[in-house]
Amino acid sequence: MNQNFRFDCVGYALFAALVLLAVPWYLSFDGFELNTFARYLALGMVAMALALSWGYAGILNLGQAATFGIGAYIMAMHLKLGASAANPGGLPDFMGWTNVETLPWFWVPFHSLTVTLLAGVLLPAAVAGVIGTFMFRGRITGVFVAIITLALLVAIQLVFVEYQMYTGGQNGLTGLAPLVLAGWTADPYSTAFYYFVAGCLLVATAACVALTRSKVGLILRAIKENPDRVRFFGYHVSSFETVVFCISAMIAGWAGMLYVLVLEFASPTYMGVPFSLAIVIWCAVGGRNSLVAAALGGIVVNILEGRLSDLFVEGWTLFLGVTFILVVLFMPDGLFGVFRRIATRLHERLRRHRNSTGKALPTGAGAVPARAGEQGGQ
Amino acid sequence: MAHLELKELGVHFGGLRAVDGLNLSLKFGELRCLLGPNGAGKSTTLDLICGKTLPTAGRVVFDDRDITGLKEYQRARCGIGRKFQTPAVFRDLTVCENLEVARSQHPGVLSALGVFRSRVRGRMAEVLELVELTGELHTRAGNLSHGQTQWLEIAMLLMQDSRLILFDEPTAGMTIQETHKTAGIFNALKGSHTMIVVEHDMGFVREIAETVTVMDMGTLLAEGSIADVENDPAVREAYLANGGDDA
Repeated sequence: MNQNFRFDCVGYALFAALVLLAVPWYLSFDGFELNTFARYLALGMVAMALALSWGYAGILNLGQAATFGIGAYIMAMHLKLGASAANPGGLPDFMGWTNVETLPWFWVPFHSLTVTLLAGVLLPAAVAGVIGTFMFRGRITGVFVAIITLALLVAIQLVFVEYQMYTGGQNGLTGLAPLVLAGWTADPYSTAFYYFVAGCLLVATAACVALTRSKVGLILRAIKENPDRVRFFGYHVSSFETVVFCISAMIAGWAGMLYVLVLEFASPTYMGVPFSLAIVIWCAVGGRNSLVAAALGGIVVNILEGRLSDLFVEGWTLFLGVTFILVVLFMPDGLFGVFRRIATRLHERLRRHRNSTGKALPTGAGAVPARAGEQGGQ
Repeated sequence: MAHLELKELGVHFGGLRAVDGLNLSLKFGELRCLLGPNGAGKSTTLDLICGKTLPTAGRVVFDDRDITGLKEYQRARCGIGRKFQTPAVFRDLTVCENLEVARSQHPGVLSALGVFRSRVRGRMAEVLELVELTGELHTRAGNLSHGQTQWLEIAMLLMQDSRLILFDEPTAGMTIQETHKTAGIFNALKGSHTMIVVEHDMGFVREIAETVTVMDMGTLLAEGSIADVENDPAVREAYLANGGDDA
């Protein structure tokens, strides 16, 4: 447990250094370039959220994009209201086009920034809580969870597309005002903004790592392996599952809010099946058994997408699909699994090397060859 | 006063009456061995007590409380622990982590959020010493030998520290020495824990049992000391009718 903990800490520290120092330095602190990376970080965050439920608790949520999208729309609603203040009745432009006379009641609270920020994480959590309670109390597991969450995703996206007068429909919410947070105006093309997104990602990751390192994480791993056995120790399995499902949804909603800030619009494609499945792929490529690896998976795959989709516009999707198949076939634990295996093998070889040099030495007290072995290992 | 009482307990699966009108009463701190030929309903009885299977008739009373309608996790919280026939340790978790899961005196999500470290002191150190797994603390349970796996599961039950523990064939696959040691542990638990042990190894049963209950075809056939039961003509007949391979 302690050794794993050290492993986690080192991984997290490297990740933080990469996000906070290496990337901005590599891009010479250029706001425009960093904006692209802020987008990757937001996507890495939602991949990390999926790893929390999929990797640790075995809950394959194919509808992760739904909670991401809800967070995104909530932030966009607030910013849209900010941009529509000058309109008659403070009504967003698209509502005027669709003959909506007054601002719908469910838009009103989003004038407030506090409500927006709270709702952006709590509403996705509430949706996940309701679905999770039904699913997990009914002891639904495995592929059925995947089917239910996927169906839910499609249903939610349909609602957002259909009710154009309230949601902007297929066009989504565009023409947004910038976010003003405690006197600071978030300019998505600034270095400060990049650090804001990076800070959010690191805080969320730290919180989730702490969660997985607590006994909750341990019980979740036990549940993943044998839920029935866990019940006979007196744990209420479905509450553990529901809680982690909700927390995962909260992080996804938070990532969705950041994503809107980066791109300055919300679109129903954020809740699309292709996007939701892409999250699963990022998570699988990075390694679902590690939160940091999953986040890196999201970031790396999106960097590749950014580079390769310029060269092969259509071929890129094919490349992504092939990558996924290869990962599932040959690296079931993703890049993290490969990395871990290499690390273990090196560690073992080093130890064997020490032992053999220790033995090769001429006779002496036990301590002498041991010390010599240490020197040989260095 | 009875610690556990089964009253006219019964369950049927389709047409099969696995347990039929079973009455059983255990005092606190008693160790009861449950014997009987294959298919007599011994494991099913344990399932009914721990909540894995819900009865179709009768009642289960534990600590003067009717627990017939409670779910398995609620019964575990009442103080009922279970060891299954096949080793059911968490293979992907280390020995230490397995014991931490088993230390379930505070099973809520919130209290689990505050626990970050397994302290290998006090009870956990004692239990590890007892089952000789101290050196394997950070070994994955999947990498343990079969015997060690059995010991780990017994250790988990000791960590859970239920007042009533149900054992389904605890010595299956153990060597003679290991079986003997298990008997020692069971004898030490007597008095502070109520236990029901389903076991085929008569040597082991002789080492631990005070009272034995013999079941056949889902009903109670005989109850008493080992000597009484062995001389009971009905018991002899039941075993002979089933090939007499277990006695």
